[in-house]
Amino acid sequence: MSPVLAAAFALLASAATTPPAAETVVRPGESLAQLAARTLGSEGAGPELLAFNHLDGAPAAGTRVLVPGPERAKAVAAIGSARSAVGQAPTGSARTEAEARLAEAESLLARARYAEAAAQADGAWKLLADAHEERSHFAVAVEPDGRTHVAVKAGVPVRVEAQGRTRAVRAGETLTVIRGEPPGTPQAESQGSQKSEPPVLLSPEPGLKLALEPAPGGLGPVRFAWKPVPDATGYVLELAGPRSQSIRTAQPVVTVPGLPAGKYRWTVRAVQGDGTLGPASTRGVQLVPGRIKLEVKETPWQ
Amino acid sequence: MALCLPLFVCVPACRRDAKAPPAPTPKQSVRATLTQVSGSVSVKRAAGDEWQAAVSGTALYDDDKLRTERGSSAELRFPSGTVVVVSEDTLLGIAETRAAPGRPQADVTVLRGAVDATLDRPANQSLTVGTPAATVRAGREIVFQ
Repeated sequence: MSPVLAAAFALLASAATTPPAAETVVRPGESLAQLAARTLGSEGAGPELLAFNHLDGAPAAGTRVLVPGPERAKAVAAIGSARSAVGQAPTGSARTEAEARLAEAESLLARARYAEAAAQADGAWKLLADAHEERSHFAVAVEPDGRTHVAVKAGVPVRVEAQGRTRAVRAGETLTVIRGEPPGTPQAESQGSQKSEPPVLLSPEPGLKLALEPAPGGLGPVRFAWKPVPDATGYVLELAGPRSQSIRTAQPVVTVPGLPAGKYRWTVRAVQGDGTLGPASTRGVQLVPGRIKLEVKETPWQ
Repeated sequence: MALCLPLFVCVPACRRDAKAPPAPTPKQSVRATLTQVSGSVSVKRAAGDEWQAAVSGTALYDDDKLRTERGSSAELRFPSGTVVVVSEDTLLGIAETRAAPGRPQADVTVLRGAVDATLDRPANQSLTVGTPAATVRAGREIVFQ
């Protein structure tokens, strides 16, 4: 693990262990580094603890010191996010400026100026996010034993935390977390595609223009069907078009009550036994408003 | 006439109750709103013990639970504009205030099943999804109001 990532994890871990604003008493023989590790989760946070308490040197045993609360946790989390974004940003002016803001945020944190540190870190994050503004799209699935699968379809990475460890999962990657364990290494979504065949799509037919009646959410209902894939534990249907969404289902058929009119690409992947997604099959379909049905009832008035 | 008037006033209120689970009192902040419901979707209020059928437009509050049956789905929209599609056979909690020790509060806690989230403006939106194994954070870490 790189020193930068290790520092990020240490900071994030310290955020998780930071108690609410409180006092603590320095123990006999306890060094400043030990005190910082005990209260802030990091041996290197001694100077910050001194700054927070307006102390010039290491406090003696028996001294009561204040421990920062949620404001610090927020600053630490913001710095972690900014560091993750900077690490993944392409070289350029936005990254250079974000790096400068991140360094300033870390400096402010070390001086216990938490609100300013959080604002600087958030500014760095936003700078990169604005430069690469893209819809964020991800899915989370939980198995009966609590095992969690995270799949990022598009946009900026999402952060997966477990047992004090954080992993960034980028677009096109999946990550599985077993209950009680830290997150493993993200996998490219296509890895695992060797085991099963792509689903055979049945309906709607390729390139079909479907004339549908108005329904909640647009036009509908729209029925998507495909042949079952051997050994699949489920399927993921992804719709890309005027409305994009991903639907997880156990059956090889999904009926969507309504979709806005327009052209869609629909993609189906099987969920394999190990939770990974198999190869995809994709088709296009166009939804158009159908004829308006007029019903004229006989009136009793002559 | 004296009897008719209260009855007349009661009708709209009674109809509303039959369509959507009643909101908790005293009034809380709406955490999310059901914008689409397909099939059998039900809500259990934080202070209630009964699952009640949910309809589009149902507001969800802290510690409410949402359940979709097999073949059903739902769509949630958060005040930030974040959209979460809830797949079939899913059980989730809304903004659970009694998070496990050391775990941050999540906007949505998936206890079983699957959700699909979309943040159109991740620079200005955030979403935290909790599960029994992990916490998934997307978008901006701090959203300044």
